Amino acid sequence: MAISPLGMPFGVGAGFEVTPLTPAGQGVDAGGTGGADFAAALGDAVSGLEATQDRADAVAASAATGDLTDVADYMIAATEASLATELTVAVRNKAVEAFNDVMRMPL
Amino acid sequence: MPIFGTLGVSGSGLHLHRKWLDAVADNLANVNTVRPTSGEAFRQRMVVAQAENYGQAGGVRVAGAAFGNPEGRLAHEPHHPLADAEGYVRRPDIDMADQMTELMMAQRGYQANLAVVDRARDAYLQALTLGK
Repeated sequence: MAISPLGMPFGVGAGFEVTPLTPAGQGVDAGGTGGADFAAALGDAVSGLEATQDRADAVAASAATGDLTDVADYMIAATEASLATELTVAVRNKAVEAFNDVMRMPL
Repeated sequence: MPIFGTLGVSGSGLHLHRKWLDAVADNLANVNTVRPTSGEAFRQRMVVAQAENYGQAGGVRVAGAAFGNPEGRLAHEPHHPLADAEGYVRRPDIDMADQMTELMMAQRGYQANLAVVDRARDAYLQALTLGK
């Protein structure tokens, strides 16, 4: 039994095109290359922490001296810095937990 | 930081809407700026937005500014110090209702981008508590 596709809502019409961002078939690989990508992403995030903190500090300094033109700039830089710090702390916690699990193994 | 890319995209949206608010404020502040007929009238400023990193990281930037009608409206005010020989001055061709509508759009756009920053931050923080 063939199920006909849903029509586009609100009369969008046939001009609606779906452009795939990544070629079909590549998707997410479980393990293997997926693991390397995740490790690279985490490593990027943690190593970028210092750059993010520096940027947030520079924007905070300009806010204090009155050079800041956009309030949202500072808030977004501060949010990114705090998120990056939380990420680093979470990575450390998981690593310590995994280490403790291994050390608890009876030999 | 690409891992928190949403914040950068919303930041660019906030920047654009703030520039839009600035332009509307400028237009409204100069709504009664009178110029002599020999020059051009105060021209309404409109911000041109352009998509940045279209299809990839996303975002928006201010591509430039467009200016309105240089001729303005000719008003007959013979007692005005800037009036010409026939008593005409140039007033800006700015429609206040139009500007108030743009003001509302700019404000709601700014609030929408703020909401995205909030929600994205909450989403990222929740992701960091996975597996606890």
